[in-house]
Amino acid sequence: MLTLNLNALSSSFSIVPFHVNYSLFTQTQTQLLAPTNLNYPFLNTATRKFKTFQLKAGFWESIKSGLTKNNTIQVIDPELAEEEDEEPLPQEFVLVEKTEPDGTIEQITFSSGGDIDVYDLQALCDKVGWPRRPLSKLAAALKNSYMVACLYSIRKSPGSEGNEQKILIGMARATSDHAFNATIWDVLVDPGYQGQGLGKALVEKLIRALLQRDIGNITLFADSKVVEFYRNLGFEADPEGIKGMFWYPTN
Amino acid sequence: MAAMGVVAAYTHIHVTEVFSSKSMELKWVRTRITKTSHFNKNKEKNLSTPLLPVYISTNPRHVVPQQLQDLCSTCNHSFQRFPDTSEPVDINKLRIALSHSDVLVSVFCKPNIVDELGKSSFSIVDFLSPVSPSRDLLVGFGRAVSDFGLTASIYDLMVIPSLRRMGIGKIIVKKIVRMLTNRDIYDIAALCSEDERLFFKACGFAGDILDSTTMMYTRTASSATHEGGQAFTRAGQKLLLIPPLIKRH
Repeated sequence: MLTLNLNALSSSFSIVPFHVNYSLFTQTQTQLLAPTNLNYPFLNTATRKFKTFQLKAGFWESIKSGLTKNNTIQVIDPELAEEEDEEPLPQEFVLVEKTEPDGTIEQITFSSGGDIDVYDLQALCDKVGWPRRPLSKLAAALKNSYMVACLYSIRKSPGSEGNEQKILIGMARATSDHAFNATIWDVLVDPGYQGQGLGKALVEKLIRALLQRDIGNITLFADSKVVEFYRNLGFEADPEGIKGMFWYPTN
Repeated sequence: MAAMGVVAAYTHIHVTEVFSSKSMELKWVRTRITKTSHFNKNKEKNLSTPLLPVYISTNPRHVVPQQLQDLCSTCNHSFQRFPDTSEPVDINKLRIALSHSDVLVSVFCKPNIVDELGKSSFSIVDFLSPVSPSRDLLVGFGRAVSDFGLTASIYDLMVIPSLRRMGIGKIIVKKIVRMLTNRDIYDIAALCSEDERLFFKACGFAGDILDSTTMMYTRTASSATHEGGQAFTRAGQKLLLIPPLIKRH
């Protein structure tokens, strides 16, 4: 009985015979040729098979397209997708430089794409008064965010050579799908440095990087105290009735 | 004839491959009974509407960008928050977005089932023949973007109009949430308009407990002061102002 059914099915496959074994081949070969020279943080995880699929598709699709008559298959050109997809270039520059009465120079530098120490970040969160979050989760979140912008304060005391104190005083990060949507999470500035426009600079830099990549939907969830801050930056609350909802596990 | 034999052999292997529980899952959905049919007893209600087999897949390789673009047009869904015209979504951008989405859930259904929704029974062949994403219709989709640690956001949930109100959307959301909570991500957000709010509420979403306000960047040309050399970018119907490069000291 079963064999009869299979024969019936195979007749329906005769229109596109090679489609059947196509996914079989890619299944076995995706694990082998994962490109490791591409600078994507996601490639290390198992979920990034989609990228390797695109590279293999070119080879098999080109063979198939030459053989089948009913050629509705689109040959995906992998190069096109790779070129447009660039991570934001890391930048670092000095925002403000102050000289204190005793001669020490304090520089506030902006840095994006750099490695943040999770311990520094947790210390900053404590200063601002945020609840503590597991360090491993923080590290994973930072690694996989689209862009992490941070502010450092570097103090150089006069006379001593290179005895610098580098403290993390601000951070902002954004997650994105690199094409349409982005959400800004975790904007924080050390209380001692607030009110100087540093937070504004952080957020503006993030927005600029996102818009230059044509990522148009920039969202964030603001506490009631900072709604005004974001409104001054060009954000609108509940635009056209769009609200964010969060998942709450119910029993 | 030999070629046919070869195809049959490959078919056999393909059948066992497709039914692995990791990639494709079979779910049965039926139309929800409207509240007006009070006169039906419970037992009769369950038997009257036909069960439809749909296949849920979380495998990102099953999503074909062209099919997704067609689905978007059918559902009248735009990837831009404030769409400009009803032009189809840019397929290259779509490809990039898909490759950077943490979770992708797609729902497939046999095209003959979609066309003949009124039929009361389906032959066993419909059930047994393997589902191939390239041949079957993409009827539902949902994706989520996360930072693999703390937070995630659900975007672009859609089901074709003829198969709505059957619980497919809810299945998609539940699947996405399940995949995220398996990876210890519990901060899941979803942006929704007024009409979608009830749907997400039924799926277990609620307004933020901390009462945070959702805000979106909408600074356009008209609201900004006019300075020389302002840069803008298009996002659907909105012309967003790019903040100037920070120049200090």
